[in-house]
Amino acid sequence: MSEERFLDDVSPGDELPPLVKNASRAQLFQFSAATFNPHRIHYDREYAKVEGHEDILVHGPLQGAWMHQYVRDWAGPQGRVLSLGFQNRGRGFPERDLTFRGRVHAVEGDVVTLELEEVDDTGAVLMPAHARVRLPQRP
Amino acid sequence: MGDRMSLIPEETRALVGQPLGEAAAVEIHPADAERFAYAAGDTNPIYFDDAAARAAGYRGRVVPPGFLVWAFEAPRPLETLRKDGLPRASGQPIRLHAKRVLYGGEDWDYLAPIHPGDTITAETRLASLEEKAGSSGPFVLSTVETTYTNQHGEAVAVVRAKRIAR
Repeated sequence: MSEERFLDDVSPGDELPPLVKNASRAQLFQFSAATFNPHRIHYDREYAKVEGHEDILVHGPLQGAWMHQYVRDWAGPQGRVLSLGFQNRGRGFPERDLTFRGRVHAVEGDVVTLELEEVDDTGAVLMPAHARVRLPQRP
Repeated sequence: MGDRMSLIPEETRALVGQPLGEAAAVEIHPADAERFAYAAGDTNPIYFDDAAARAAGYRGRVVPPGFLVWAFEAPRPLETLRKDGLPRASGQPIRLHAKRVLYGGEDWDYLAPIHPGDTITAETRLASLEEKAGSSGPFVLSTVETTYTNQHGEAVAVVRAKRIAR
C-alpha cells in the first residue's frame, strides 16, 4: 500500500518520484491473456517484424495501466484519481526500462493537476499524460 | 465542407454523435479483475483485500478501471481471427478513406468506484471525427466515447478512445 499524501504537502513544481517498469516477455503474454488479446505483435517476434517492429511491443493499454498505477500510488490510499489522459506516441519494448515521471502543474482547491510522461531507455517520450487527483487535508 | 478530397465519407460523417452498436452489460468477475491487476504488475491491496479497501475509504475491494474495457471482450471462436491474430471487425465499422489506423490514446474520467460483482453497462458512441493536416499528409482523429454505468444507474467511468486514420 502506498503512503498517505496530503494536500498540505503538495506545491506546483513538485517532482513525483519516478517509477521504473521493465516488462518480461512472460508479463506481456499474461497481459494479452488477461485482456483476451490475440494480436501477434505482442508475443510473436517474427510476426512483429512483418509489421515493421524490431521486437514484440508492450501493449498501449498496459502502459496506460502503469500510468494509472503511478498516479494512484502517488495519490495514496485516501487520494482519488479523478481523470487521466494519455497519448500513445512511441513503441515500448520488453526487457527495457520504461520510466514514469511527472510533476505537479497546479493545485486548485483540493484538486491537484499533474503533468506526466513515460520515457524509454533512450529518453524518447512514449506517452505524455496528464491527470487530476483529489487529495485529503492533513488531519 | 463537402470537399471531395475528404477522408470521411458522407455516410460516416452522419454517424457522429450516434451510438455504435447496442448497449451491452456484463458482470465483473473478481478473478478476471485480479488477473488484470496482476498482469499489469499492480498489487495494490485495494484490488485484492476488502479490509485494505475499507481502510482506504471504499465499501469493499475495487476493480482497476482500465479492466472495464476488457470485461466486454466477448468469447469468440478461432475462425474469427485474422492472420495478424486480431479478430475480424464486428459491429458497426467506422468507414474512412484511410489505409492505416493507429491507437492514439485514451482520456478517462473516473466517476465512482467499481466493485467485483457489479453489473456494468457500456454505451458507446462516435463522439467526433476531426480531419487534420499532418506533416505526412491528411489524417482523421476519431474519438469513440464509452460510458460505463453500474447496476444502480450510477455512471462509474467515461473513456474517450482516440484513433488516427491516414
